[in-house]
Amino acid sequence: MANLWRKLTYHGGNGWWNLPHTASQEEDPPYEGPIGGAWLGNIWRTVTHGGVSHAGPGFYWLVGLFLGVITLLEVWLFTLQGLGGLYIPILLGLSTMKFVAVVAFFMHLRFDGRLFTYIFAASMIIGISMFSLLLLLQQFGNQLE
Amino acid sequence: MATNVTQAPPAEKYAPTENHARVVDFEDTSTGLNSRKLLMWTFLGSDVMFFGAFIATYLVYRGRSLNGPYPSEILNIPVTSVSTFVLLMSSLAMVLGLYYVREGEKNKATLWILGVVLLGGVFIAFQVVEFRIFVIEGLTPKVNIFGTTFFILTGIHGAHVTIGVIWMAFLAHGSHTGRLRADNALDLEIAGLYWHFVDIVWIVIFTVIYLISANDGPPPGAELLHG
Repeated sequence: MANLWRKLTYHGGNGWWNLPHTASQEEDPPYEGPIGGAWLGNIWRTVTHGGVSHAGPGFYWLVGLFLGVITLLEVWLFTLQGLGGLYIPILLGLSTMKFVAVVAFFMHLRFDGRLFTYIFAASMIIGISMFSLLLLLQQFGNQLE
Repeated sequence: MATNVTQAPPAEKYAPTENHARVVDFEDTSTGLNSRKLLMWTFLGSDVMFFGAFIATYLVYRGRSLNGPYPSEILNIPVTSVSTFVLLMSSLAMVLGLYYVREGEKNKATLWILGVVLLGGVFIAFQVVEFRIFVIEGLTPKVNIFGTTFFILTGIHGAHVTIGVIWMAFLAHGSHTGRLRADNALDLEIAGLYWHFVDIVWIVIFTVIYLISANDGPPPGAELLHG
């Protein structure tokens, strides 16, 4: 269990939550880009291990394609109109995926200094917490009076 | 503050570790990170809260307009989906422009940065046309609470995009004239962070305002006010 926790969170653990050192600072990075050769394996390594030094145009096109497909999916769900209570959670989930993809890969946060991630994540946490409280207060505030 | 990039960091500070090879580029600052980039990330952190406040305000007042036009009567999802796609692709163009600047491929870099300018301009054009149609159909910032929150939020986002387009146009010119090169690609990277941020804000706006609110009509009882 402790090993699993370490694997997921410890910076040297190479887990999903591992925030790698600035990969561009690494000498002789493992490979230059996720596309090329065993591309599927390289994509998997990119997602699970991070540490790609210089992702190439192929990878960026792939992320762009992903963003376009998710947007199409969102619009298709909108036209479907039959999801009831699941509609909003699904849409929020899809937009979160797009958000994370842009921040992690286009903004290079996944491969950049950890302090940048901490600053951005802290802002997101503070912002979302405050505005969630605001919404809760608006929703239930009248009942407190 | 000195931000010299060197190729030979002190061995004791950046010694090889179990999982990481020796560091070959680092910033000679107290954080080891570039100060300008840190400034941009800090600004983006504050902008998260700035936009968050307007998005939260929109949600607080969502569905409370007592008179029309209501979102269900006026929002055009297919058109906005196209403009959303355009903005997403501008982010792709941005990251490709940065890649080619770093690779020293001037022509490709200029082309992709111009692509960002073009796609950003198209997005703004979509927004201007959308605003114009809304005003013609009777939705203004003053007419109801939906109009107020909608125009403020999307208008501020549009202002951000406009600033980004102007910034990118200067950088495209710099790339064309050779002033933007691989050794100062950080200029473009910082502008890119701003541009991608504008993109992720739109991802949230598109979901919250357009997709989730598109079926919002008058609140219960609103018809009583109008006889």
